[in-house]
Amino acid sequence: MRLAFWLYEGTALHGISRVTNSMKGVHTVFHAPQGDDYITATYTMLERTPDFPGLSISVVRGRDLAQGVSRLPGTLQQVEHHYSPDLTVIAPSCSTALLQEDLHQLAAHSGVPQDKLLVYALNPFRVSENEAADGLFTELVKRYAVSQEKTAQPTVNLLGFTSLGFHLRANVTSLRRMLQTLGVAVNVVAPWGAGIEDLKKLPAAWLNIAPYREIGSSAAHYLAESFGMDAIYEAPIGVEPTLAWLGSVIAKLNAVGAQKGATPITMPKLSAFSLDGQSAPSGVPWFARTADMESFSNKRAFVFGDATHTVALVKFLRDELGMQIIGAGTYLHRHADWVRKELEGYLPGALVVTDRFQDVAQIIDDEMPDLVCGTQMERHSCRKLDVPCMVICPPTHIENHLLGYYPFFGFDGSDVIADRVYLSCKLGLEKHLIDFFGDAGLEYEESSVAPEAPQLQDATPQSNGQQAEAVATAPVQPAGEGEMSWTDEAETMLKKVPFFVRKKVRKNTETFALGIGVTCVSVEVFRQAKESLGG
Amino acid sequence: MMQVPGDVQIIKEDNVTHSFCGLACVGWMYQKIKDSFFLILGTHTCAHFLQNALGMMIFAKPRFGIALMEEGDLSKNEPTLEEIIREIKADHNPSVIFLLSSCTPEVMKVDFKGLAHHLTTPEVPVLFVPASGLVYNFTQAEDSVLHALVPFCPEAPAGEKSVVFLGSVNDATADDLRAEAEALGIKVGGFLPESRFDKMPAIGPDTVLAPIQPYLSRVAVKLERERGARVLHSLFPFGPDGSRAFWEDLAREFGITIDLRDREAAAWEKIRKQTDLLKNKKVFLTADTMMELPLARFLKSAGADVVECSSAYINKKFHARELQALEGVRVVEQPNFHRQLVDVTRIQPDLIITSLMTANPFAGHGFVVKWSMEFMLMPIHSWSGVIPLANLFVSPLQRRSKLPAFDKEVWMEGVMPSAE
Repeated sequence: MRLAFWLYEGTALHGISRVTNSMKGVHTVFHAPQGDDYITATYTMLERTPDFPGLSISVVRGRDLAQGVSRLPGTLQQVEHHYSPDLTVIAPSCSTALLQEDLHQLAAHSGVPQDKLLVYALNPFRVSENEAADGLFTELVKRYAVSQEKTAQPTVNLLGFTSLGFHLRANVTSLRRMLQTLGVAVNVVAPWGAGIEDLKKLPAAWLNIAPYREIGSSAAHYLAESFGMDAIYEAPIGVEPTLAWLGSVIAKLNAVGAQKGATPITMPKLSAFSLDGQSAPSGVPWFARTADMESFSNKRAFVFGDATHTVALVKFLRDELGMQIIGAGTYLHRHADWVRKELEGYLPGALVVTDRFQDVAQIIDDEMPDLVCGTQMERHSCRKLDVPCMVICPPTHIENHLLGYYPFFGFDGSDVIADRVYLSCKLGLEKHLIDFFGDAGLEYEESSVAPEAPQLQDATPQSNGQQAEAVATAPVQPAGEGEMSWTDEAETMLKKVPFFVRKKVRKNTETFALGIGVTCVSVEVFRQAKESLGG
Repeated sequence: MMQVPGDVQIIKEDNVTHSFCGLACVGWMYQKIKDSFFLILGTHTCAHFLQNALGMMIFAKPRFGIALMEEGDLSKNEPTLEEIIREIKADHNPSVIFLLSSCTPEVMKVDFKGLAHHLTTPEVPVLFVPASGLVYNFTQAEDSVLHALVPFCPEAPAGEKSVVFLGSVNDATADDLRAEAEALGIKVGGFLPESRFDKMPAIGPDTVLAPIQPYLSRVAVKLERERGARVLHSLFPFGPDGSRAFWEDLAREFGITIDLRDREAAAWEKIRKQTDLLKNKKVFLTADTMMELPLARFLKSAGADVVECSSAYINKKFHARELQALEGVRVVEQPNFHRQLVDVTRIQPDLIITSLMTANPFAGHGFVVKWSMEFMLMPIHSWSGVIPLANLFVSPLQRRSKLPAFDKEVWMEGVMPSAE
């Protein structure tokens, strides 16, 4: 038992519903108490689904338990009657899993044909969102994929693309664009947008693309074992990885093509991959070599997230933008070994593996990096500390679900990521000017508290009285304040430090002062600190 | 089907879906009672719900948290919370800790009362609040919180006649209600809950309890029984009609006769533009916040055609006046959502008041929608709430009429993966 405030990964039910919500003609029935279908809101609000997600709940009430009544058969009949899905996945929640009911038998009582039902009873205390989603997707592929002729022309499957995935639609589009340029068709995207018929024809493709470590790679492994299908597991994030990925796609497709006597695919001119078809496919290589990007060599970055994006972003920041990596971590214990292996030689210390956001916030507070790549929780932690942060993976906030084309995959994605890094970090020449001349007229009135406070946001209306009041009354304490006093002169001196590093200087000075055993920062202490810390 | 005075028939169906469990009340209760901590004994699901569905982001340190039950905790007879309570006290120094139940420990038959009693110290009481989705919907757990607070309301001596308003509202609304009562010559004993644990109002045999939220029937009954307090049975103070009835009836409890007819008429006049728009509009309310009965009653008074008003829980006695006022309206308790979808398709309402889960899909089917939860977060009480209340209903109608024509075939293509 521990006191938890916020968790990175969602529940097993969330993972299951991410897969079924992605699919056509698939329904989920949660066998759960009232309220456990709150998950529906994540789809209808974040993804703005214009239809009812295929999620129903067979409500378990206390009274039913006392009377030994189960509504599951009735709910399944209603779902069959109203929606007639091709498949209904039945899943217990954490509380109903303890009831040790025979869900198979209850499902059978519904009279709905057994081949249209799948009981997916994981242990919700052991399995979380990603593992459940990956597991269910693999289960569905096993259930439906059938051996068949390969397509005449080269085709691939895109596996692991799942509802609420990070920049999901744009990533699919980016891959489609590159594949189209190669002359390769997409056989099936799954689970996103796939129906049962699509799963059946998965083995018709020449190659599987499963770029997400978290979801889809197990299904690709299964298809490799059972149908001899080759797969590419790397994520094409960054220019160099994208080039390698394209090379790999071509080589693997040509290996299949050779057996069929097909004409080999060749790498087109790289400009063919650009948006206008006649330019460099990405601006990143030149951008990284421009003079103002030199300052990025001194920028210290910290990366924390899921497995796929943590690995990709560390490599991108160091290899392609030439930044310093001061640390990285993941909240996915299951994939920590893989991340560690992938990042061998990239990290100055051990990989951080934790699902406690407080631990990550503490690291950021201690290190005060120039850039943090993280989840929405790191974004919140960084706002308090005034540390630049960009969100690179789930869990996300509604503001990470935008309308525009912002892929992370492919050449297009490299440009998007580089732009975000650039906009998040303080700039080059401009920074020198500010450093040298002080505020350079950019100073804003310094507020005594962090600009953001708790909100009943995401799901709730944004502009109203009580909420505004709630925000105003929530206590927000700037980190570390209250222990150390500053003389007025020292405060005046601190004001001359550029505003955006002021918090950092204040903190470093206070740490220094504590170290030399004083509790009040005077001008003298401040000067000593400056000297000893190198400005 | 059951009969209530005024021959209103309540159709009872089988369940409520697409709404929240009682834990949702943490979202506003922890902000209301400022020296409290809300501890949920629960699982990953409870934590995920609070952080996602309510979108409550955790900053500095919120005054609520989950004592997270993991697999190893399932085999233990009784959860040991001492360490967690110590952590909460060290970090937050609360005056009171509310211990909320959830489904998993309820299934495990954890003795919450014993647990809370065991954790209570003279300085910091730990109060059990039943809130699990096995029994409680959405706002109902506020009833449980207030229930737990009753022993901390001092006994008001007999002869001390005053009103205690029942239900949490923000401070501005509380001030309005207080001022209004005092202007009518009614002595105000306070609010249950007040903003601080040590400031809970005195309640005794001459206290009049005036419920200002429609989901607090259990605590009202408890106070009636234990303290001999009188519960005001009137309309809830929403809209010109509700406000007039509420204040006139409350004044009568104090032997004061007032006639608010003119005030009601003036309030209707102020929202005439809005009611003109609502007139004869077909409005459908799906079950969510349990504010549905008074909202539907206001809509009916405003001239709208309420085609269905459904709610998770209806109490024949507590809601008697609202039910009478809804005569002729189809009222459903614990509605079946699948059936509602069929009816909505058939009836084609002009406006649907519905939950966060279902609002966008209804909009996707071409309907004009309003989030039911917004009515909980807006100051819609009494006279000063009349305009905000009316605006909440008309603003989606007006907005829809301002947007250009919408070709579903074009602008919704491929938006949903599971769409055919």
